Amino acid sequence: MRKTTVLPIFLIFILTLASAHAGENVYTLQVDGLACPFCSYGIEKQLRSLQGVADIEVDINEGSVKVTMQQSASLDEKQARQAVQDAGFTLRSFARHEEDDAAPR
Amino acid sequence: MRVLLCDLLRGMKKTMPRPGKNGLLPVLLWLAASAATQSAPITFNTALPVAKSEFVFRQQFIVNQSGHDPGTAGRDRTAWSAMSVLGYGITGKLALFGVLPYVNKSLGITVDGKRIERQGDGLGDISLFARYTALQKDGPGRTLRIAPFAGFKAATGRHDSSDDLGRLPASVQPGSGSWDAFGGIVTTYQTLDYEIDAQLGYRGNGSAQGFSAGNQLRLDASLQYRLWPGTLTGAVPGFLYCVLESSLLLQEKNHVNDRVDVNSGGIRWFLTPGLQYVTRRWVLETALQIPVVQDLNGTALENAYLVRAGFRYNF
Repeated sequence: MRKTTVLPIFLIFILTLASAHAGENVYTLQVDGLACPFCSYGIEKQLRSLQGVADIEVDINEGSVKVTMQQSASLDEKQARQAVQDAGFTLRSFARHEEDDAAPR
Repeated sequence: MRVLLCDLLRGMKKTMPRPGKNGLLPVLLWLAASAATQSAPITFNTALPVAKSEFVFRQQFIVNQSGHDPGTAGRDRTAWSAMSVLGYGITGKLALFGVLPYVNKSLGITVDGKRIERQGDGLGDISLFARYTALQKDGPGRTLRIAPFAGFKAATGRHDSSDDLGRLPASVQPGSGSWDAFGGIVTTYQTLDYEIDAQLGYRGNGSAQGFSAGNQLRLDASLQYRLWPGTLTGAVPGFLYCVLESSLLLQEKNHVNDRVDVNSGGIRWFLTPGLQYVTRRWVLETALQIPVVQDLNGTALENAYLVRAGFRYNF
């Protein structure tokens, strides 16, 4: 009886940990037209208005925007494209990778 | 328009600017309104970047000094203005802008050996205009945009102020009393290292109390070159730009009670060095407008210089 109670709890704990880790999705948007600091605020504001966005980092030299989503939230490419367009720029590419992949090795 | 172009060609042939007298009012009105209606460049507003559902606010403080009166009146005019510009992005391509100046103008003049000063201040005429980005070509770290714009200036400023000597001359009134329409096209090419903006604009001036300022054509250009940081490494650092702008203004003659005022209108060309410090939320900017050519009809008062300083904020 005791064994059968502990096992499901342990499995749920492991799955929760795993899903929490996997939920930290990070996306990299390559944005064309981004050429000055004052313009970058517009793109940050548009992306922050999307549900589930936890953090945004703009690299103006690379023309890239790194979007970190909250746990279990995801960023849809169509949404990202629209947000970039509303900011007055053009989305060139959209890539999703997990936080571990983005960390320097 | 043909008259304006002829005036331009004629003006370019002359090396020495001629002083004038009665063309002061329309030029002053235009300078006030042009600062209001045009400026990412420092001297015109039409290239201001603004995203959808975003506001941009620009506040500029301008000193416009005129003088060098060749006549015996010894006219000397100083105009201080605080120009507030608010832009809003309706979509990523369509933006609306409003401009409201607060002005303080003083005119010194010698009459019968006695120095007199007339002064007027208050809110000036409000301007509203829309800009639509018709062409946009984006690439990595660069963008090209071409956008027509159109708007109007409303007669909201007071134009019947008076002092102890009676009604103030029109050149000292905060408002013009007329409704004016304007439009044009603005283009921007921006890279990470520099930005070039150019604007061609035309203003049709209305009339008020029997006075109609001459219509105006202007061609502006602006180069902003990044001085600092020399090398971009990452994130979004602040940029320090050195700026050089050119403003060519052509104005037709005024009409007073349906008669042409031969002492009005003409050509002015300014070169404007300046500095801008640009961050992701705010911009600090300053510039000095230096008249290079002033070929004015009749005896209009020339500009000595204009100083601009201010800031921008995104929200």
